[in-house]
Amino acid sequence: MKTPILALAALAWFSLSYATPALAASCVTTACHSAIGAIKQPHAPVKEGDCAACHTQKVKEHPVKGAKSFELAGKAGALCANCHDGMGKKKYQHAPVQEGACISCHKPHGTGERFLLEVGEDRTALCIGCHDPAPFKQNFMHGPAAVGSCNACHEPHESSEKDLLKGPVRDVCLKCHADFAATMAAAAVVHPPVRDDACTACHNPHGSSVSMFLNKKMPDLCVGCHKNIGKKLAGVKFPHKPVMAQGGCANCHSAHFGKSKGLLAADQMTVCLSCHGKDDLGTPPLKNIKTQLAGKKFLHGPVRTGDCKACHDPHGSDNFRLLRGSYPAALYMPYKDGLYDACLGCHEKNLLRFADTTIYTGFRNGNRNLHYVHVVGRKGRTCRICHEPHASNGEKLISKEGTQFGAWKIPINFVITSTGGSCAPGCHRKFKYDRVKAEAL
Amino acid sequence: MHKASKDLSRTRYFSRSLLIILSGALLMAGCAGPQVAKKGPVFFPGPPNEPKVQFLKSISGSADVEDQRSKLQLLVSGATEKDTNRPIVRPYGVRYVKGKLYVSDTQGPSTVDIMDLRNKSFNYLKENPGRGQLKKPINLEVDVDGSVYVADTLKKEVMIYDPTGTFVGSLGREQNMKPVDVALDKDFIYALDLNDSDIKIYDRKTLQYVRSIGKTEDKSQGLALPTNLTIDDKGLIYVTNITDATVKIYDKDGHFINKIGQLGDALGEFTRPKGIAVDPQHRIWVVDGAFQNVQVFNENRRMLMFFGDPPLVAGALNLPAGIALTTEDLDYFQTLADPDFILEQVIFVTNQMGDAKVSIYGLGHKKGSAPTSTAVPAPLPGAKPEGSAGQTGK
Repeated sequence: MKTPILALAALAWFSLSYATPALAASCVTTACHSAIGAIKQPHAPVKEGDCAACHTQKVKEHPVKGAKSFELAGKAGALCANCHDGMGKKKYQHAPVQEGACISCHKPHGTGERFLLEVGEDRTALCIGCHDPAPFKQNFMHGPAAVGSCNACHEPHESSEKDLLKGPVRDVCLKCHADFAATMAAAAVVHPPVRDDACTACHNPHGSSVSMFLNKKMPDLCVGCHKNIGKKLAGVKFPHKPVMAQGGCANCHSAHFGKSKGLLAADQMTVCLSCHGKDDLGTPPLKNIKTQLAGKKFLHGPVRTGDCKACHDPHGSDNFRLLRGSYPAALYMPYKDGLYDACLGCHEKNLLRFADTTIYTGFRNGNRNLHYVHVVGRKGRTCRICHEPHASNGEKLISKEGTQFGAWKIPINFVITSTGGSCAPGCHRKFKYDRVKAEAL
Repeated sequence: MHKASKDLSRTRYFSRSLLIILSGALLMAGCAGPQVAKKGPVFFPGPPNEPKVQFLKSISGSADVEDQRSKLQLLVSGATEKDTNRPIVRPYGVRYVKGKLYVSDTQGPSTVDIMDLRNKSFNYLKENPGRGQLKKPINLEVDVDGSVYVADTLKKEVMIYDPTGTFVGSLGREQNMKPVDVALDKDFIYALDLNDSDIKIYDRKTLQYVRSIGKTEDKSQGLALPTNLTIDDKGLIYVTNITDATVKIYDKDGHFINKIGQLGDALGEFTRPKGIAVDPQHRIWVVDGAFQNVQVFNENRRMLMFFGDPPLVAGALNLPAGIALTTEDLDYFQTLADPDFILEQVIFVTNQMGDAKVSIYGLGHKKGSAPTSTAVPAPLPGAKPEGSAGQTGK
């Protein structure tokens, strides 16, 4: 009875000692390779004590002074591939992966962190070991880059996309910027590069010295495509200040998508009046257009349709007040062909060419062209002396309050009739005019 | 006779008769009549350029308009084709209004020929013996209701006929003028006076003389022996002048606006500018009697093309004078055009000489191509924009 039990026990001891050599002859003891035993997140074979999976014993004696008893079961990446197959199938490989230099990132026995890496979620220290740190030291950083979450966007080993991205650029971006993607899908107007191209066309995905980590500051970034605007900004006498100021093009335009044509943040009038509806804009302050328009009975055509850019160039112009045609800055400027193009671009071109007319103006006494009388000749007066350019409570946009003449506002006292009218301005005594039956002077 | 000579004379007889027959056949060939060569469509400009104008047909008299009487009818009636044809002899003015073609003919008979091409009718303006009789109708204008205003240089008046052709009044006797053309607008009648080189304006309702325009301070801008005028839909008056071979443009107040061309033979210049017309796209069509062509300009006075210069297989002009344009009845005129050439407008030009007294052309485009336009191509970079008053902006 006792003999079989003894035999069994001996058999068990033998099998155990050969089946699990670690238990039988462990490499990791308090005396040898103890550090490996202390690893918090060991490599699986290390955990199982399967040192022979990677280290093959060459010589029976161990340790041997001045020589190695063990060698690696395979060379570099090939050794790892014994278990970790499935690499090398995709188009783009991370250089160390291609070279089989797995241990340039991974510690083969394990580390205190996951994935045999010496870094945690913040991979900065590891990746900067090879990669240029400059983009990661910028003023404005993309969130994941700022906290070293390189793997939020990049595959560490291989990818079918360039730069080891996890997918096509847009898809990678919009996976996190999902609310942006949803709003864009519902937007009325989308900036074509936002709709079709990679976000990196404008943004540096890691970081830059420009707010919103743009590749270049605005307007330089925008005029890369919008070359005409760039040419204009470079050569124009009066650029529109917001274009060159902090915020650049984004002061008026929405960079990605919007409700209005021209990618304006809102409709034209709202955008323009957001600055030009204040009393303190500039030194000396520009007129508050909002108060100019408020409650007025008559609006200048383009103003009525909310189209400021019909007359003004929002990017810049060589003309007075950013107008699209020439217009004199002074109060007095006798008419010459070309001087009043800002107005005559829409209004009758022959208005000021002939001293008598039955065709070109209703402001005439019989045939005598009274516009000609006022604007042509030595003391030619500009349109603004009588007409408000934006809005007025007076017919024909004739100013009711009067026009600023130094310290005085000259009243006009314009009265209109069915065939003519009269003015009793602060310039001359009351004169009547009639198209049908000319009034005597 | 010897038997031999009998044989010889028989042979001689045979060959002689053969000779007679042959020569007779050759002579008879002259009676075969003119060979009619098969002609293809006549386009301007010529191939390989894209065609813009096609010559459609010409009219020389009623025979080209009315249904042809059959040969049997002629035989029975005893008349010849020559008897029934009423020729157009020396035409000048031409108009196409409400489906009818009006041509003023100064000779045989001196009257206005009124043709309905679609319905194949050819009539003369109603006879108005006495006061209303036309003597030398040079030019004419037709109102949309069918009233006809005729400038008669022998009577020295503008004669006015109502839509039935009845004489209703005249202008110009008191002014002692030589009216060579007449134009209308809503309120006034404009008579072009060759004697005074001006335009005399009359009130339409009262037929009273109102004023004259056309004389300017700067003589080079004034009318100089003007022959034809037309008014466009913007109210601008275009007048051709003999003295300086120009087209001068005025507004209705008589202010000089612009001029086209000068004496010369370069493109866009004139020698004998005569008939003038402006189409709805503001293209200006000018007949030159000496170049024997029509030059076409856009409203910026840039020459677009010219056509009709002889010699041509067909469609050449011959001492041309008047011109009329229409966009009516394009479906009818399309039947005269090449099926792949889509008509946009029809042009009538009168010729004072030759067989074709009224030449009809069509302006259009090849099927599949864009319609004709007056778009001025963008200026070359660095070029100064042309036109007056230096328009900038917009």
